Parts: sequence; structure tokens; C-alpha cells
Amino acid sequence: MVKVDKLVKNYGDFRLDISMEIPDGTVTGIVGKNGAGKSTTIKAILGLIKPDEGHVTINGKEASLLTGKEKQSIGAALSDSGFSSYLRIEDVICILGKMYPTFDEDYFRKNCVLQRLAFDKRIKDFSTGMRAKLRVLAAISHKSELLIMDEPTAGLDVEARNDILDMFRQYLLDNEKRSILLSSHISSDLEGLCDDIYLIHDGKIIIHEDTDTILSNYALLKINDDTYEKLDKSYILGTKKEHFGYACFTSEKQFYAENYPGIVIERGNIDDLILMMTGGR
Amino acid sequence: MLGLIEKDLRLTFARKQILLIFFIMALIMGISMDGSFTVGYLTMLATIISIKTISFDEYDNGFAFLMTLPFDRKTYVREKYLFCLMMSAAAWCIGAVLYFIGNTVRRSEVNLIEELPMLIALIPVMYLSSVIMIPIQLKYGSEKSNIALSIFFCCIAVLFFGTKAFFSGRSNPVTELIRTIENLSPAVVLLAIIAVCALASGISYMLSIRIMKKKEF
Repeated sequence: MVKVDKLVKNYGDFRLDISMEIPDGTVTGIVGKNGAGKSTTIKAILGLIKPDEGHVTINGKEASLLTGKEKQSIGAALSDSGFSSYLRIEDVICILGKMYPTFDEDYFRKNCVLQRLAFDKRIKDFSTGMRAKLRVLAAISHKSELLIMDEPTAGLDVEARNDILDMFRQYLLDNEKRSILLSSHISSDLEGLCDDIYLIHDGKIIIHEDTDTILSNYALLKINDDTYEKLDKSYILGTKKEHFGYACFTSEKQFYAENYPGIVIERGNIDDLILMMTGGR
Repeated sequence: MLGLIEKDLRLTFARKQILLIFFIMALIMGISMDGSFTVGYLTMLATIISIKTISFDEYDNGFAFLMTLPFDRKTYVREKYLFCLMMSAAAWCIGAVLYFIGNTVRRSEVNLIEELPMLIALIPVMYLSSVIMIPIQLKYGSEKSNIALSIFFCCIAVLFFGTKAFFSGRSNPVTELIRTIENLSPAVVLLAIIAVCALASGISYMLSIRIMKKKEF
């Protein structure tokens, strides 16, 4: 289990101040705009940066103090960092084999073939999608219990994204105790995979909700100026002025459906959540 | 640790052409030149190539991913010192073989017993350069470390010439120390060099650990 307890990290004017938990057997997503603090959170969980205040623990132990053996149960993929681009996949196989006693070479090789990753090509000659697939494969092929992924599908086309999401699904199917923490900009990736979602904005968590709750209870109300004036705004989380009147984001779809039968209600999704909670007024 | 050594070996041998050029140059020198220059040359090249693996780790923000792999920061530092020593020793062996082949080709008589201590001394002497370079490279990164190294060697030069100028006309303790060393037996000199190298390695290792523990990626 990962526990982020009152983590504070300052970078000049930016202050990250969050608490979160990732229980065993769950898939947790972190969403937010660029610069919201998603990568900083992931780096703190991986022990790559030191918190100014608070603690990050993995299975009860401070993340920055994990031993090599303890780190064997974690698989990580970062959006802007990976194996040296001068290496080939054959090199990566030998390195992973030496680093992880549980490294499944057959699984890795089989998936490299499936994903059309050339064994004898240097990583620097790989496309963005190929590099992303390699990063994910390297993280999941040593049977880790926890996967920590920073923007694993960023900059990829639909096909490459689906391939990576399929790898995650297979990884989860193999062992139900496995957990994944992933950050992403792409809401559809998270909707289909995550059990719960944290929305980070300006270094703070502004919403933590189950994905099912977001999809079933959250909604976008499209209303004209007159209805907006009369609207009970108790359950309105965010509002945005539009050409037709107002777009309001609510966590109580049913309340507005029953009390305002004439208004347009659109099913809420994670894109709306990000847009309305961080960009509306 | 084994995984890190594997990575560094693979990164080193990823530049096969450069290594081949260095080897051919050493081969030509070994055959054509007298003296043990080839041994020193190859050992020095090996230390430079080993240090270069830190730049490869750092390149393209690679450190961040590397530090998620199953080893701690202390192990990373330990591996760098060990890798440099292994590479220096391996290059020394190749250099020594070339040196003796060169001597055989030229039919020069070599007194192995007399030459060996001084040849072996090349390993700790060259390794000393990695001992200086590793913490600088870790602290300042590949680009800034070149400036830091230049400043470091400038300071040494200033110290050397400053001492020389200060003691001009008087008895220079450095010259006297060199004279004393020259009068010692090669085996004693070798032991003294190893002792100095071990001490410097210990200090450098502690510094490197401190630097790595403070680093954020």
C-alpha cells in the first residue's frame, strides 16, 4: 500500500501539498493540467525527490529509504526518462535479468515481438510509441506488485495507447493484488482502467472520487441565463459561461434531473471534471 | 550491483568503433615505442571511458528512471568505483600483454621482476584520476564537470608552481620528498602509492555518497 501523508514540496512559487492512499489491488489515476503537480507526486512516491514536509511510505517504509530488494516489487515508467538510448532491447533483457530475479524473459521477448519492437535496434532509433511500449514492458515483466506510471500514453496514437492499456489489463488479470498508480491527460484511458481518481490542481487535491461515481453521479448541466438565476447551486461544483448561457458541473445529477426536468444534462466524464474544476469559475 | 555492471559494460561496448581505434593505436604504440607508455595509455583511456558511463546515465534525464531500478544510491556509487577499477585493471592487462609482445618483436630484453612493480603502480595512479573525477561528475554533471575539472587542475598547477617559486633558492620539501622516494625500493613505492590511492578512494567515496544522497531527479 502506498501512503502519501501531508506531502509538501516547494519549487519557488509552486507548492505541492497533498495526501493520498493507494490500497493494494486498486488502480488509481492522477489527473490534472500541466504543472498541476502530478509528476512531482509520482517522483516523491518513487523516492526521486525528498519531501520538504510529510511522508511517503510504500508498505510502511519511507519511499526514499527503500532497499534494492524492496524496490524489486515496484515497476516504474516515467514519461521523460528511460533506459539509455544507446542500448538495444537485447541489452535491456540482460540488464533486467540481472536486476530482477523474477524477470520473465519469455514474456518480455514474446511481447516485444507482439508489439513489433526490434531487438537489434538502438532505443534512440525507436519511435515515441515504441519507446513508451518498451518502458511499460520493462516495468511489468518482472512481476512487480505495484506499477507507478507517469503519463504512460502521452503523445501516442490510439492504437499504441490501446496496446499499452491492454498490457495493463493483462498485468492486473494475472494477479488481483497488484496495484497501479498512473497519471494521464487522456480521460478515456483512466475511465476504462482506474478504480478511483485524484484531481490535482495547483499542487492540491481538489477531488478524490471513485471512477464509477464520477461517471454515474457527475454531470454537465447546460442551462440558459434565466434558469441559471433560479437554479439551486448547492451541488454545483463549477460553472462556465457559454454562448447559450451556462455550463454547470455537478456531483448530483439525479437531484437536477428530478427538480429541473427541462434542462439539458450530459453524462459527466473526466475531461469535464478537469475542465470545470480547474478552468471554470 | 551485477545489473549495474552489466549496464555499464554494455554502454561501454556500445561504442565498439571508438574502442577499436583506441586498441589499434595502442597496438601500434606497443610495437613501435620503447617503454611502458602503452600500458599507461590504455589504463588512462579505460578510466576515462568508465567515467563516461556517468554521462550516459545522466543523458536524456536518464538518472530519474535509473534510480527507480532495484538498487539504492549507495550501491550506484559503489558500482562506479568498482567498475572504474575493473576497467583500469582489464586495460592494464591488455597493455601489459602488448608491451611484452612489443618487446619480444623488437627483441629488447625486459627484466620482468624489475619492471613489474612500476607497471603495477600505473593502476592505482590512473585510478586516482577516477577517484577525483567521480564526485565531480556526480556533483556537476557531464558539462559542468569539465569546467570543475579544469579549475581543479589549475589549482594543482598553481599550487605546484607556487610551491616551486616559494622555495626557490631554499630547500624544497617537495623535491626532497621526490628524492627520498627515488631512493626507496620499487616495492615500497608501490605500497605507498596503493596506500595513498586507498585513502583518496575512501574520501572520494564518502563525498560521492553525500552528493548522491542529496541529489533529486
